[in-house]
Amino acid sequence: MSTMSGAITLGHYLALSGFLFIIGLAGVLLRRSLLIVMMSLELLLNAANLALVAVGRFQGLPDTQVAVFFVITVAAAEVALGLAILVAIFRIKKTTAIDSMANLRF
Amino acid sequence: MEQIFFWSLAVGLLTAASAVIVLRNPVSSAVCLVVGLVFQAALFVTLEANFLAAVQVIVYAGAVMVLFLFVIMLLDVKEEARRPMVWSKVLGVILGVAVAVLGVPRLVASFPASQKTLVWGESKTSGAAQDLGTLLFTSYAPLFLVTGVLLLVATIGVVVLCRRDPAP
Amino acid sequence: MIAYAPYLILLLPLFSAVGIRLFLHPFPKVAVTSSVLACFLSFVGSLLLLGAGTPSGGMAAPMVPWIEFAGLKANFGLVADPLARMMAALVTGVAFLVHLYSIGYLAKDPSRSRFFGELSLFVFSMLGIVFADNLVTMFIFWELVGLSSYLLIGFWFARPAAGAAANKAFLVNRIGDFGFILGILGTWSLFGTIGFADLPSRATAGAAGWAVTAVGLGLFCGCLGKSAQFPLHVWLPDSMEGPTPVSSLLHAATMVVAGVYMLIRVLPVLELSQITMTTIAWVGGIMTLLPALIACQQNDIKRILAYSTLSEIAYMVMAVGLGVTGPAMYHLMTHAFFKCLLFLASGSVIHGCHEEQDIWKMGGLNKRMPFTYLVTWIGTIALCGIPPVSGFWSKDEIFAATASHPGLAVVSMLAGFFTSFFMLRMILVAFGGNPRGEGAKHAHEGPPVMVVPMLILAVLSIFSGLFPVQAFLGGGHEGHHDSWTLWVSLIVALAGFVPAYQIYAGVNQDPLSIPWLRGKFYIDEFYQRVLVAGQDGLARLADAFEGWVVRGFIVRGSGVMARAAGQGLRLVQCGQVQIYAAVFIVGAILLVGWLLRNGAWK
Repeated sequence: MSTMSGAITLGHYLALSGFLFIIGLAGVLLRRSLLIVMMSLELLLNAANLALVAVGRFQGLPDTQVAVFFVITVAAAEVALGLAILVAIFRIKKTTAIDSMANLRF
Repeated sequence: MEQIFFWSLAVGLLTAASAVIVLRNPVSSAVCLVVGLVFQAALFVTLEANFLAAVQVIVYAGAVMVLFLFVIMLLDVKEEARRPMVWSKVLGVILGVAVAVLGVPRLVASFPASQKTLVWGESKTSGAAQDLGTLLFTSYAPLFLVTGVLLLVATIGVVVLCRRDPAP
Repeated sequence: MIAYAPYLILLLPLFSAVGIRLFLHPFPKVAVTSSVLACFLSFVGSLLLLGAGTPSGGMAAPMVPWIEFAGLKANFGLVADPLARMMAALVTGVAFLVHLYSIGYLAKDPSRSRFFGELSLFVFSMLGIVFADNLVTMFIFWELVGLSSYLLIGFWFARPAAGAAANKAFLVNRIGDFGFILGILGTWSLFGTIGFADLPSRATAGAAGWAVTAVGLGLFCGCLGKSAQFPLHVWLPDSMEGPTPVSSLLHAATMVVAGVYMLIRVLPVLELSQITMTTIAWVGGIMTLLPALIACQQNDIKRILAYSTLSEIAYMVMAVGLGVTGPAMYHLMTHAFFKCLLFLASGSVIHGCHEEQDIWKMGGLNKRMPFTYLVTWIGTIALCGIPPVSGFWSKDEIFAATASHPGLAVVSMLAGFFTSFFMLRMILVAFGGNPRGEGAKHAHEGPPVMVVPMLILAVLSIFSGLFPVQAFLGGGHEGHHDSWTLWVSLIVALAGFVPAYQIYAGVNQDPLSIPWLRGKFYIDEFYQRVLVAGQDGLARLADAFEGWVVRGFIVRGSGVMARAAGQGLRLVQCGQVQIYAAVFIVGAILLVGWLLRNGAWK
């Protein structure tokens, strides 16, 4: 691992993306509130975007930026729908705790 | 120069992300997420993807997160209750952090391409809107159109989902 | 025209049987008439056939093709060679007399239409055996005869004993038939034919010795079942549950001798193996003595005669085993007459004593039923082989054949001794002394329709010794009279009367008590304990297996296992999204790690 005075490499960006992904993962798996879980999902997506842009910049691939564009768009659509569902559930359950939404079981 | 910007922005991003998953008040989490997204946009700029940085701020931080905050305010979500700090949870966190810190850099270093260094101005790709737009409308035109349809469907879906049942 | 005669003789009783079964049950008089008429016409036809053909020539009726493929020709054909003609005349003649007798015996029975229908069926089946020209046709009629016997033994089916006896007869016969089938198949596979005409030429000693012996013994099994020889003899005494005409016709004169007839037909096969012949001779030999001993302690008049039948058939079987079929057929013929006579006489006694069958409840019948008494004496003399009556000549020829086998000679002469003993016992107890029971006090003779057949049979019993049986056997296998066996057998037979007279003259209860003889050597009990219980045990084992393994383990077990798997897999569906996500992530990490290891992104 290079020191603070070494050049920034692709590896740095990828490592940063990895850490961000792990933080997002922790949030998705461990938080009780559905809202926080959805925000952590956004973190996951952002980690992926970062990795995409970095690799595209270092390897000379402009197509990755197009991919990021699409990811952002789809993430927006997904958030809209997810929040709509959350609102619908909240009207019935009166809470955003995930534990109370475990009806689809055996 | 590259190093200063990278390290500061990286630290900021990670801090904001950690804050999102740690704080109990959803509004605080949302605001921290906005901050994180802005840091991310700045990182895009260091990678010479300017247009994408703009898109990130406008769409992601500006629209998506605003939507989040709207919903939080609408539902008047309360702060989450404190949960007891058990020693097993602390141990798990420490363990997880250790694994991540030790494992990720090694994993990344195993790729030969990750030795390439960052020098501003030497990018073979341009991050300008014009070039990105050309790609979007020529090579990826079908996908672009499909994404448009996707957004339409999402809109309709949201409207349907949020209707109240008619009163009996 | 004359070529179709066998078919006519065969089918007339069948028409009678079918007609009665379908239409005539409500009209007993019509049924009786049609059955008797059919039998009479068959008898007339047999007599004509007897006289028409040359004594030595055969006559094959046209055959109906049935099974014909490479290697096996089993067509439905009838042959009227001299042996068949003689046997047909005998069968139809005795059957006709029994038909007449039954008119009187069953005059008050409400189901007599059914009885006569079944009698006609029996005559048809028996003639089928007689006229058959190959083993397969004979087997079909063999089974039909078994069926008729079952129906007739169980005629009074409301009585549990009758039903059980009918079952026993059929089942024991079936066991013998199993061996018979194996013998037929063996004959076909070894010699390539099952037709009686082909057997003498095809049955050569080319095949392996043990195979020929096995085939011969298999065929003998059929005889064991049908003619009730050891160890399948147990059904005949029980078959006395049927009406007396049935006992006299089927189980004395005709059906039980079908086994002997069959052995004579397949003799070329049997003669190929000395072991088979010796076995047949010794089984016959032992079987002459065994029932004779048992009969000495029996108290039911019909049972006594049944055991005597077993003994006499054994004489015929022994003769066949010794290779002399002439004396066997001769004795078959004379036995048919006097045994049928004895049974009809016993029927007359039972009928006269109002359905009493125990000889110790009879007595004093010599004065009340003199005619029956006389014909019983005639029959007894014929049975015991006292000259100049027919039975003496036929039995003596068989004794002559045993001259070269001292063991068999001793056994069969001992049997003769005991035969005289128990027959005189029967006469003295049933007819002599004073009446011991209510029925006996009011005994009377039967109507003429019962008396006349007995009269005819008595005459035949006396004079049938003169019939030239040899002429109808187509040469060879003839018997002759040696002088020493003639005298020895006569002395032994007469000697049997002496102790019987001394013990049983004028007594009112049996002074002798020999449990082993009264219990029929406990063979039935042995079968029940060992074979039936063994079969039961096997059935229970199979049931346990089915219950535990098939029903429990396989059927319910597969259900249980499916359920358990379901229960186990169910736990995966916890409903909590975060758990699903965690599993997903773990899987993804493992997958990516595996790919990296295998150099996917180098």
